[in-house]
Amino acid sequence: MNVVSMRKLYSRLQSLLFASASVIVFFILWELAASYLQSPYFPDPYSVLKAFITIITVGDIDGYTLAWHTLMSLERVLLGFAVGSATGVPIGLLLGIKPTLKNAVTPIIEPIRFIPPIAWIPLSIVLLIGMYRYVFLIWVGVFFPVLLDTIAGVKRTSITLIQMARTFGADNKNIITKIIFPSSLPEIMNGLRVGLGVGWMCIVAAEMIGGEPVGLGRLILKYANLLQIDTVIVGMITIGLVGLAMNYFILFLEKRMFRWRVEIRA
Amino acid sequence: MDKAILLESVSKKYDVGSSSLKVIEDLTFDVNKNEFVCVVGPSGCGKTTLLRIVAGLEPPSSGRVLVFGRPPDPKIQRFGVIFQEDSLLPWRTVLGNVEFGLEIQNYQEAERERVAKTFLELVGLQGFENYYPHQISGGMKKRVAIARALAIDPDLILMDEPFADLDAQTRSLMQRELLKIWSKLNKTVLFITHNVEEAVFLAQRVVVLTKRPSRVKQIIDIDLPYPRARLSPPFISYRERILTAFHEELEGI
Repeated sequence: MNVVSMRKLYSRLQSLLFASASVIVFFILWELAASYLQSPYFPDPYSVLKAFITIITVGDIDGYTLAWHTLMSLERVLLGFAVGSATGVPIGLLLGIKPTLKNAVTPIIEPIRFIPPIAWIPLSIVLLIGMYRYVFLIWVGVFFPVLLDTIAGVKRTSITLIQMARTFGADNKNIITKIIFPSSLPEIMNGLRVGLGVGWMCIVAAEMIGGEPVGLGRLILKYANLLQIDTVIVGMITIGLVGLAMNYFILFLEKRMFRWRVEIRA
Repeated sequence: MDKAILLESVSKKYDVGSSSLKVIEDLTFDVNKNEFVCVVGPSGCGKTTLLRIVAGLEPPSSGRVLVFGRPPDPKIQRFGVIFQEDSLLPWRTVLGNVEFGLEIQNYQEAERERVAKTFLELVGLQGFENYYPHQISGGMKKRVAIARALAIDPDLILMDEPFADLDAQTRSLMQRELLKIWSKLNKTVLFITHNVEEAVFLAQRVVVLTKRPSRVKQIIDIDLPYPRARLSPPFISYRERILTAFHEELEGI
């Protein structure tokens, strides 16, 4: 083992050490706060852990386990994400390529972008049912980051590359599929990653209403009504961890896809 | 039609706000088939615009442009254009980049790879097929761009200051190799540069442009056999002649 890789290993160990130290400090602070407050609404880490185990093994008051809640939420979010990307990427490409069209729709898109998914709930209750409602509310979260990053990616495309393609006789279809799309792909992937994260964070809003008693958002609201905050925190932590895992998964994909680019940064 | 390129009183102006900027005015010259012609002129004189017009990327404002007897159209004719800036697709390998033009020209996949490899060999890049552009040097990138342009068997090669960004040694190496390739493939080349020595080294004829709006100041036949020695008296005298014409234009700027 040479000096460079030794140093790398050392700095990795060091950052691992710092990371675990801060997690431990976090739990200590939590424990201290809980024992200071002595409130039934502020559970300590140990009771959250117990609730975790109960939800995983036994299930909630309706008998649904944590895995089931997670799967149901994932299904809804991934469906919303699929619709969000299937609309965001093509519309983003179109608006990026046609600036006049983009300027025309900007006054509509920009204000809508700032309406949070929660604000869409009443309207979606009146207009949509079942899966459509979930998908729509997640879509609201996914669509805009995907759209904006796709537009940014198209704009970043080098004019020289487009001209180069034209000199070979490329038509517009060729230029979109062989130049603009691959050139924008890093930004598109970034938009997808952010969009998936935002969509996942919309899950509580999306599951706030509706008859089905399953889903992580539902779980949180169910136990909030029962004032059992330990299980509420179980739901929160699960949402956090699943979101983190999805983010890392896409980052991993990006690294593999953009070998041609990542190495430029290195 | 034996003229590869025919320009007849070509003018080009761009509208800038309410006024218009004349870049090229009443430009007339021609290029014979298989000829190597260099266009030199002060920077900002519209050399790149001229190349874009010949490549059919934009129409002239007035005048006539014929490439092999017809208005240039890259969808019908085959042009091998080499740009000054890096024009490789960073997400494609060296091989993938050379295959790009062949893809646009609808070559079959197996044929694409075979042709691309042949031309990579011609420019001396065998073994680098799977490298990405960011992994190779500036000179190698230029070779890839040249291989890509040649692979489609172009009727006309158009080069826009292709070696301007290279260091002096790489540039003179690339010039020699370009001449070798040109003599092997028998292609018509229109080469744009602001480097007079480069023009004298490469071209059979040098077209000197005036400052903007460009017209032809002088056309000089370089009557020297290849390969040319840069320090030989006739070479230097050609260089001085062109430099004199060139400097008259520079003084006015």
